[in-house]
Amino acid sequence: MNFKQNSHLHPDLLNPAAANLNPDKLLGRWINTNWETRGIAECTVAREGDDINVSIIGVGEDGPIHWPTARATPLANLEEEAGQRTPAMTATFDLGFMRADTHLRINKGVFVIVLFATFLDDSGRANYLNREFFYRQA
Amino acid sequence: MSKTQYAQLSDHIEVDPITHIDPKSLLGHWINSNPYTNSIARINITEANGKLQLQVFAVGPDGPIDWGTATADVFSSNPASSTGAGFTCIYDFGFAEARFQAMIMKGLLVLAQFHTFKDDSNRANYFLREYYSMTQEHF
Repeated sequence: MNFKQNSHLHPDLLNPAAANLNPDKLLGRWINTNWETRGIAECTVAREGDDINVSIIGVGEDGPIHWPTARATPLANLEEEAGQRTPAMTATFDLGFMRADTHLRINKGVFVIVLFATFLDDSGRANYLNREFFYRQA
Repeated sequence: MSKTQYAQLSDHIEVDPITHIDPKSLLGHWINSNPYTNSIARINITEANGKLQLQVFAVGPDGPIDWGTATADVFSSNPASSTGAGFTCIYDFGFAEARFQAMIMKGLLVLAQFHTFKDDSNRANYFLREYYSMTQEHF
């Protein structure tokens, strides 16, 4: 079996139950813990058939901005710090003028979105990264 | 304001065009804070011809595995900043792909890795997140 690091050979990668690939813990509606955010107001993760879709609402000047829905790629989490093994996922949002590459995970019960924004227009804005925290809407 | 398109208010700015993000804070030798890692032990980050270059050394069953060099894209902390705060990078091994999203946090380099298998091994794709500190040690 090919590998480039020991974790490529982790036995749990061949054991679906142990790999903990089930993204159910990430499903739901998540609200930004910072109500003054100038970034993402909320995020919804939903299962549709075999797909996991992510919808984001950004904060706009004149109201919410609905981003195009993106399909997520669920990822197993083998050995994070403090024994956490909650699944994570990646999703890429194509907004035309900008691409947002994200990863989403739960850390100690808090939903975290890490975003890497690449501008595709000629606005001269710098590509940037951001991290925001969300709580589950009951 | 102008017709500049935005997806969130933090993007809604006008700036003098930023043509280069300074990667200075990322450059150097980074070592994993976990000496028992089963993943990437060390990373060299350099700048060559205006591009950020990574050289990764991972932990293998028989010793370190040099992944070679790859070019990374630099990101700032906001759209008006020209100071590097993180990077993305892809290593394609043929049988698998490793994507990185990294950022500086409290002086540490926080590296998120996304491993996707492209062979027929039936291994699950997986995620890792580890912390690296800058070291004076050269490797």
